[in-house]
Parts: sequence; structure tokens; C-alpha cells
Amino acid sequence: MSKKAAIFACAALALSLPMVSGSGMPAAQAASKGGLITIIVNDPSNPYWLTEGKVAAAEAKRLGYTANVGASKGDTNTESNLIDTAITNKSVAIILDPADASGSIGAVKKAIAAKIPVFCVNAEINQEGLATAQLVSNNAQGAALGAQQWVKDVGQKGNYVELVGAPSDNNAATRSNGYTSVLSQVPGLKKVDSQVANWNRTQGHDKMQSMLQAHPDIIGVISGNDEMALGAIAALKTAGKLASVKVGGFDGSPDAAAAIKAGDLQYTVLQPVATFSKKAVDEADSFLKTGKTGAATEKQLLDCILITKANVGKFTAPFSLGQ
Amino acid sequence: MIDAKPKSAGSGISSGGFDIGRLLLEGRAFFALILIIIVFSFLSPNYFTPSNLLVMSSHVALFAILSIGMLLVILNGGIDLSVGSTLGLCGVVAGALMQGVTLPTLGATLYPKVWVAAVLVCVLGALIGAVNGVLIARLKVPAFVATLGVMYMVRGIALLMTNGLTYNNLGGNPELGNTGFDWLGFNTILGIPIGVIVMAVIAVIGILTLRRSAFGRWVYASGGNERAAELSGVPVKAVKVSVYVISGLCAAVVGLVLSSQLTSAGPTAGTTYELTAIAAVVIGGAALTGGRGTIRGTLLGAFVIGFLSDGLVIIGISSYWQTVFTGAVIVLAVLLNAVQYRRRVKPAADSTGGPSPLPKRGDAVTADAVREK
Repeated sequence: MSKKAAIFACAALALSLPMVSGSGMPAAQAASKGGLITIIVNDPSNPYWLTEGKVAAAEAKRLGYTANVGASKGDTNTESNLIDTAITNKSVAIILDPADASGSIGAVKKAIAAKIPVFCVNAEINQEGLATAQLVSNNAQGAALGAQQWVKDVGQKGNYVELVGAPSDNNAATRSNGYTSVLSQVPGLKKVDSQVANWNRTQGHDKMQSMLQAHPDIIGVISGNDEMALGAIAALKTAGKLASVKVGGFDGSPDAAAAIKAGDLQYTVLQPVATFSKKAVDEADSFLKTGKTGAATEKQLLDCILITKANVGKFTAPFSLGQ
Repeated sequence: MIDAKPKSAGSGISSGGFDIGRLLLEGRAFFALILIIIVFSFLSPNYFTPSNLLVMSSHVALFAILSIGMLLVILNGGIDLSVGSTLGLCGVVAGALMQGVTLPTLGATLYPKVWVAAVLVCVLGALIGAVNGVLIARLKVPAFVATLGVMYMVRGIALLMTNGLTYNNLGGNPELGNTGFDWLGFNTILGIPIGVIVMAVIAVIGILTLRRSAFGRWVYASGGNERAAELSGVPVKAVKVSVYVISGLCAAVVGLVLSSQLTSAGPTAGTTYELTAIAAVVIGGAALTGGRGTIRGTLLGAFVIGFLSDGLVIIGISSYWQTVFTGAVIVLAVLLNAVQYRRRVKPAADSTGGPSPLPKRGDAVTADAVREK
């Protein structure tokens, strides 16, 4: 018996060693030329956040820094622990996608108290003067673009439903309000239901199925992001209703681009995530070297681009549109 | 007729000579922790610094407090899946109380003092625990199912109360006399974070309860062999309800400390924390069937998980590998638990060596409890 246990223990250790030694030791190089930039995104299983982390890490390495990418998964406690680790590792800057507009303020204050500048991307925190810069997409402009295209696709009359993102993310409310401001101006369009699907594909699928049961006569679904829209498309396919119900997304993810090419999704709104992730690292570099980010204000809004069948072929890389 | 059996507490050498394999096995959680610290100190210069050790300990403290409550439930032969949700609801209720309670009938808003809010929140945690206990002890619902259902209900209540948003204004207002909520999260005594001190206090109370009080023996007895304990006069039902109440109380304390540390109380706080608490209890050497386990082992288990996870983050390994490692550690721990219990062929005649969880003590205590009645 003890022999078996010993064998198991050795196997476990042997399995773990290559993983550990092969990962490199970025922390040990923190004292090297540029320093360590810690990047904290939400959940890399969503291609949007995966790209956010990858692009920022690549840009940091290009500028001579080492980079660590951590995932908060939308939990403020995990995010707080990751900030603790960034401080322990003596990071020179933190690129943060805040998990909660108000709840993440404490963690940001901790980093500032440890003399590490914080650059927020994609989502904002509800307090100015803390982060050195906040780079977010112009969600209001993007939502208006999307809603206008959506009206062109569904027509002027009918019932529709909405899928909303996580309430802790200010972007969810901004996009929803943006949609409402455009759609309320069309008197024939009536919103019969709105469900929270937390940016998640499975939840979008399940909520769509329930809404179809309750409202079988809808003409369209407008979604806060692509993942939820793709889930809704899967539900509509199963119910055989994809031809009669039009779906609109937001983000510009590769899966959404494929769905647009296939005709399942009507449009999406590309967030310039690759642009602002890169810009955040550039501004961090400029701030560390010169004390200024180079931007006029703390909060910087970057415009979104509408993606339809006409320009969907122009993607050169995830979330990057060629000219 | 009753032999006075000498309780050889830690004489150090077993009757059969010094067995290094057995020593390693019994002290496995402790040695695992030492191994983790050595490996990560080697991989990163930032790991073994006093400030980092304190920071990691404050991360561990939350799970450790949950694990202590979970240990009592598991010792009793049950399981409590609702602690994560209870933690979230208690944090949210604390946040709501700090915002002020509006009474429409009186047209006034009450701002309870911080200690009043803390007490009320602890009472809430204990109540949820009591609901679990009554469901399981009196209505005979299996523990897994009952606590699973309560977990969903409590999480739902927290989400309903806040509509998915968080309470952020926990600082209070000096004019209203309700400042001081952040004392739990931000203060340190002699440089040690308050969360760690709370964990130490709860651990000491737990050890004294389990080893020195009749209640502690009742917990071990009814976990080891419920029927025999009941026939010997142990109030099995009352003990069962009590351990769930204690677990709920621990969850409430963690909810308070967590919302204080984060200065925000969200309804999704604590999701999946119950699984980490169970993992810590298992790694510490407790048996999921009940009757075996110690607080010291549970604390070591919590530290092993916490130091391992934080170490992986410090050296920059992706978060997906962290879950793989934590799972592997749990499986290894359960395997070694099984090995240890099967090895123990001779009952309490063997004396105990080594610094760590001694399942035999549980059995010896059970035997004593039975004899003394």
C-alpha cells in the first residue's frame, strides 16, 4: 500500500516539474531592463478578453518589459488577490480590466498606495483621479450604431427581446441604454422582454429558449455582446426560427465574424480592443519614462466600428480590421 | 473493568521503533507545506518575504475560517455546501445595514452602529445554519441535498436584494456614528492583518472545543458511529443542528471580513468557496465519512491550497494550470488519507508520533466517550 502511495506521489511530482520549470520565471526577471507589467483581464475563455491580454502582453514584451497575465473571472476578491501578487512581484505598472466599476476601486487604491500606476482598459471605475488612464470603447456610440443597423434589419414593426450583460459592468447598462434611445424612437417596435445573461454564451442560449417559449412571435433579438448573441443563435436554430428572428451582437469577435459570413448574425459592433490594449501599454511606457501618458484626459473613449456582411472579410487578426 | 489507558500524548517513538515512512505519512500536510514554500522560494525571490507571507496568510485566513466550520460539519458526518452563499448574503446584508434601513411606517432611516450590524449579520449566518440543521437532523433530508438547496436559495435572495449590483458605500458617516466597518479589513495589530488574527482566535476556540469539551467529544462520537453515540446518551440531533449553526456563523464572519477588505459587498461573493473549504478539510486528513480529523490538519490544508495557488500566480502560470494543480493536490491527499487509515491495523495501543492529524485520537476519544456514559 505505501509503495503505491509513494509511486503516486512521485508521478505527481514528476508531472508537475516540467510545467513549473517550463513556464519561465518572469518574476525573477523583474529587476531586468524594463520591469514587470501585470495585466489583469476578466476571463480568457472569452476571445475578447483573451485578445485583450495577448495584445497587451505582446506590446509590453516588444517595449522591453516582462508581462504576466492574470484572470479575475469577474470576482472582486480574486482581482484583489491578483493586485496583491502584482505588488509582491514589484510590478512597474498594472493594466487592469476592472471586475466591478465600484467594487474594484479598493483594489486600485491598494496598487496606487504601493506606488504602482494603474491603467484601466475596456471597463471604467466610478472614480476619477485614481487610475492614470482609462481607455474604454465608446460604448454609447457603438450601441447607437448597432441599434440603427438592427432597425434596418428587422423593419419598423414587431416585438423584440434583449439580452443584457453583467450588471456589475457599467458597459452593460451603457449599451442597453444606447439601444433603448434609438429603438424607442421607432413607434412600431416593442420590447417584450429583457434578460440578464452575464456576457455568457450558455446563459444567452438558455435565456433565449425561455423567451421564445414566452414570446413565440418576436422578430428580433438585440444582444449586449457576441457571446450571448451566439448562444441565442444556437437556441433559435434548435427551434427552427433563425430565418424569422434577426440577431445583433456587440464586440466583433472571430466567432461572430464567422456567423455573419454564414448569415446567422446580422451585424456586430467591433470594439477596438486590440487598439486600446496596445495603447494602454504604450501610455504606461510613456508615463514610466516621462511622467506623462501623452493623452489629454484620464478617460479616453475610442470609437467602435460597425461590422456587416459588407466589411466582415477585412479582418486580419482577431479584433483587428485591415484597411 | 475499565482499564485506565495511558493517553500517551506525543511520546515520539512508536512501540515498534522509529518508522520514517509512517512519520512522513502522518505529517504529510506539514511536509507538503514546507515543500511548497521551498520550491516557490527557489522559483521567485519575492515569495519568501515577510510582507508576502503576511499577504498570503490574509488570503488563506478567509478560507481557513470557512474550513474550520466545515470541519465540524464533516466530523459530524455531514457536509455543508451553503457556506459560500451564506457568506455572500451576509456581506450583502452588512452592506445594506451600513447604507441605512428605511422604515416607511416611521418615515425614518435607521443607521445601526457597526457592532450592531456585525452582530445582526452573525445572527443571520447562524439562522441559515439552523435551517440547514433542522432540515438535516429533524426532517431527515440528506446533508448534500439540503445544503445544496439552501445554497441556491440563499444566493437567489442575495441577488434579489441587490438586483445583481454591489453595495459600495461601507465606510459610514461620522455624523451618523456608523464608521469603523473597514477596521476588520484594513487594520493590522503588530503588523498582522486582522483577518489572520480572527482566524487564529477561531482556531484556538475550535481546538479547545473539540479537545476539551463534552461537545467536542459528542461531535466525534456522533460522526464516528451515530447509532452507538445515540444509544450512549449523546444528544445527536442537537449536536447536528449545532455544528451547522457554527458553520453558518463562520461563514457570516468571513462575509464580514471579506466585504470589509474589499470595501464592497456583492451578491456573487463566495461562489465556489465551499469547495475550497471542503478541499482544505480533506487535505488536512479528515475523513469525509466523519469521526476523524483535527483543526490543526484543516489549517495546514488551507495553507497548502492557499500558498500553492498564490505561488503559482507569483511565478506567472496561467490561472487554468492553477485549477489543475489544486485538483491534483486534493486527489493526492485523499489517496494518502486512504493509505493512512488502512495502515492503522492496531488500534490505540500504538502511540502517536509526528506533528500532525491523528485520526486514532478521534477513535480513542469515541471509545472514551462511550465508556464514560
